[in-house]
Amino acid sequence: MHAETTAGHVILGWSAAWVATVIFVAVYVMVVLEKLNRAILALLGAGLMILGGVLTQEAAVRGIDFNTIGLLLGMMVIVGITGKCGVFQFLAIWSAKKVRARPMGVLFMLSIVTGVLSAFLDNVTTVLLIVPVTLLITEELKVKPYPYLISEVLFSNIGGTATLIGDPPNIMIGSSVGLTFNDFVLHLTPAILLVMPATLIPIFLIWRKDLVTTEAAMEKVMRFNDREAITDLRLLKQSMFVLACVISGFILAHALHVEPATVAMFGAAVLLLLDNLGRSADEQSKNVHHAFAEVEWVTLIFFLGLFILVHGLEVSGVIAKMAQALLAATGGDRNVTVIAILWGSAILSAFIDNIPFVATMIPLIKSMASTFGGSHALLPLWWALSLGACLGGNGTLIGASANLVVAGMAERAGQPIRFMAYLKSCFLLMVLSVAVCHLYLWLRYL
Amino acid sequence: MHSESAAKVIFGWNAAWVSSFIFAAVYVMVITEKLNRAILALLGAGLMILAGVLTQEAAIRGVDFNTIGLLLGMMVIVGITGKCGVFQYLAIWSAKKVKARPIGVLFMLSIVTALLSALLDNVTTVLLIVPVTLLITEELKVKPYPYLLSEILFSNIGGTATLIGDPPNIMIGSSVGLTFNDFVFNLTPVILVVMAATLIPIFFLWRRELTATEAAMNRVMKFNEREAITDPRLLKQSLAVLAAVITGFVLAHSAAIQPATIAMFGAAFLLLLDNFHRGADEQARSVHHAFSEVEWVTLMFFLGLFILVHGLESSGVIARMAKELLEATGGDRNVTVIAVLWGSAILSAFIDNIPFVATMIPLIKSMAPAFGGDEGLLPLWWALSLGACLGGNGTLIGASANLVVAGMAERAGQPIRFLAYLKSSFLLMILSILLSHLYLWVRFL
Amino acid sequence: MTAKDLLNPHPVTITMEETFGGALEILLERHIRALPVLDSAGIYRGMFYLYDLWELLLPKAATIEGAITDLSFMPGSVEELREKVLEAGPRPVTQFLKDKEAPAIHPETSIKEAILMLYHHDGVLPVVEKKTRRFLGILTPWEILNRLRDKG
Repeated sequence: MHAETTAGHVILGWSAAWVATVIFVAVYVMVVLEKLNRAILALLGAGLMILGGVLTQEAAVRGIDFNTIGLLLGMMVIVGITGKCGVFQFLAIWSAKKVRARPMGVLFMLSIVTGVLSAFLDNVTTVLLIVPVTLLITEELKVKPYPYLISEVLFSNIGGTATLIGDPPNIMIGSSVGLTFNDFVLHLTPAILLVMPATLIPIFLIWRKDLVTTEAAMEKVMRFNDREAITDLRLLKQSMFVLACVISGFILAHALHVEPATVAMFGAAVLLLLDNLGRSADEQSKNVHHAFAEVEWVTLIFFLGLFILVHGLEVSGVIAKMAQALLAATGGDRNVTVIAILWGSAILSAFIDNIPFVATMIPLIKSMASTFGGSHALLPLWWALSLGACLGGNGTLIGASANLVVAGMAERAGQPIRFMAYLKSCFLLMVLSVAVCHLYLWLRYL
Repeated sequence: MHSESAAKVIFGWNAAWVSSFIFAAVYVMVITEKLNRAILALLGAGLMILAGVLTQEAAIRGVDFNTIGLLLGMMVIVGITGKCGVFQYLAIWSAKKVKARPIGVLFMLSIVTALLSALLDNVTTVLLIVPVTLLITEELKVKPYPYLLSEILFSNIGGTATLIGDPPNIMIGSSVGLTFNDFVFNLTPVILVVMAATLIPIFFLWRRELTATEAAMNRVMKFNEREAITDPRLLKQSLAVLAAVITGFVLAHSAAIQPATIAMFGAAFLLLLDNFHRGADEQARSVHHAFSEVEWVTLMFFLGLFILVHGLESSGVIARMAKELLEATGGDRNVTVIAVLWGSAILSAFIDNIPFVATMIPLIKSMAPAFGGDEGLLPLWWALSLGACLGGNGTLIGASANLVVAGMAERAGQPIRFLAYLKSSFLLMILSILLSHLYLWVRFL
Repeated sequence: MTAKDLLNPHPVTITMEETFGGALEILLERHIRALPVLDSAGIYRGMFYLYDLWELLLPKAATIEGAITDLSFMPGSVEELREKVLEAGPRPVTQFLKDKEAPAIHPETSIKEAILMLYHHDGVLPVVEKKTRRFLGILTPWEILNRLRDKG
């Protein structure tokens, strides 16, 4: 990170650190209160950082991690186009039929499909694709969808932790620290493979009695024609091809000196090209506009504002001071710091959005490099941050965006998920998963 | 500008050749219009990086985020403002002011178009004005063709007057550091002259055909413009924000704040006003909608284009092109100014002026030492802006606003033909460039 | 000319106590597509549409916004659908109302605005008093067609 000084002219001659802190805290509190849309708040806060003189516009733009934004944007475009061809519905129906539509088997299969998909796609996209099919199948099976939806929430966050591109915190950490796709696979995927069975077993024990159905109902699901779910075979082939290329690109990116945002954006452009060849000019511009209009701009704009806000804190020296305070609390011991970050991130992320939290923690952890003997020694801290922030989101119904999206869809389908009911079963499952990670980090790194 | 090149060009090829080849290929494909320009620019930008002409960091440094932020902010503001019906109100009100007489309506709508596009994006302006124009001309039972033609011309003319009126001005202003006020002082005077000079031939060309019955004019006079305002609360909010943003642009330079910050902050503030009484779900939908209506195709095109041009620049191609141009004009600044004016105008009549201006900016910048520093370049910037913006009037494909009007006219069953347009407008464009030539000569050369 | 001069003041209406099955019977008998639902004070409470029947017959996941958009993979039979209708029959019709699908107009609404709404919604427009939402009648394409013919 650049160690640039502040813009020089902080408004009314106030201290840059105070102005930055007040703006940041105000935005943070308002985001937690959820009275106002977070994209608006982050943009306003970022604007105030510049207008308040903490940052110049150039410094603010330098603070934006365009690698994260480009990677998210590219993947959103690719997944938005891929989602249209019906391949995910196909996968869900096919997997349910593989276990003969037995309710418990379907629960396991859909959870695992959710976990695997969200390792490669955005978690919200994954649940947007899987939940509707789940509602369809459980309605036919005449079983309550609640355990299925809960399990999918959990597995979307668990699966997302496994790779660089699975969850925004990983993208942010990877991009700003320079960790590669392979680093995440080698260090986080093993932990996630342990967390998955540790979550499935209690789910089995809790709901095994409730999940029974009739032969006739299972027969109905078995009559689903999974091939018919694929609505556009040409698009399916194109998008699977591009998705495969992009993921290979991530794996090889480091060796080729190419960064993930370039791979994702180029992949998006190639897929748009393939999808639009042969269309008329008018149709193309409508189609391309639609592909970009469907991107979650609220999230991207939130990121944009957030990066500027955090950069304001950083430039005015607040982050460095916070890091000192954290180090003082952990006695400067790295292993204690790792565990503190793991559990601290998990508990906080259960209640607040993990994205601003991780955005703040990244420069904070970076500034500890000198204390712990170079950036290499920081590795376990990054893994602790990722595991804590991503898995912590499972703790409450508001812990992650995917949770809220599932709750929203369940409500519209007349199957509301209540905050307390969710908390009762899932908070413990979250604590269990973090305990597994604690063990993993301890055995492997500490 | 930085002269960085990512060391390792693929297969050890020459960076200048690779970047020229990618750039030329994208340019040709954009002109042939077989493929969407956003896709092409993004692919080209990706190739610049993958081929090793630029690193990803260098590519990002090449993107002018001040231009993108300014466009994005203004698009959000205008998108929200457009919903409240104020522009329909303005059009109906102005038509009634001239008692709905056909030629008076033509003048009023043209002037309203010019004023609005000086402050808003040209495409947005015509998207708002053309539907009301079709409505009024249908009631008046006059043919809409002269109205639409005149609105095309005035959207491009009005857009030239200010920093925020047209993308070429935003790009020039942002990358050279020219302020809102610089544009007002140096370009608005000549635009006022061009407006008058365009209205007179239009009057003589169509005055005979534009007649309507008393009954028809009465029908228009019975329009209730107040009913056109669909949301008075939003109207007040958005006009207040728009006024604050424009004031911000005027004062920006003295406060050392850049236009993108003002536009984005204004957009965030308008979103806040428009949303704070709504529920969380509704807010998320409304904010998502506001951003999804932004013309991402244009912004992505810009993004790719900046990277493409930066590839050319960092591999030294732009500097070489500048040298060629200087040799052709004998190194004389005044000849160069006139060459830039006419060259931009003729080219912009046929090709998109945005990539052209994006290429010209670093090219002109690199001439600074030859002409005695940045100060000596000023007339060149005004020539580039006038040529590129007004040149777009020359043909039906010269500017996006032209194509948008043609598209709407066609859907309304009143197609505008390429050659019919060319016949009247190319000469009007030449006239406007002659006036600009005169203006530049008298004032700067 | 405004909606006041065009509306049908005496359409078939139902009360809030009407059952789903009863409402379907009326739709089928009269060959109409929509029934205004009024409370005992004559206030407009919503429109029961044939459209509400389709919603009942489909899986939930296909009727919520942005979920399943294609059901070609799902077989189905008349028996299973009839079962759903019989099950819902005794439930009050008010449980099925989708107010947002039928924007109400006022007596002062101009004829052009009303035609614009019919053009976009192709349905049945309830006409209600602006402040009280007291039901005054409905405006359908038939009222407008009739009026156009009379004048000719």
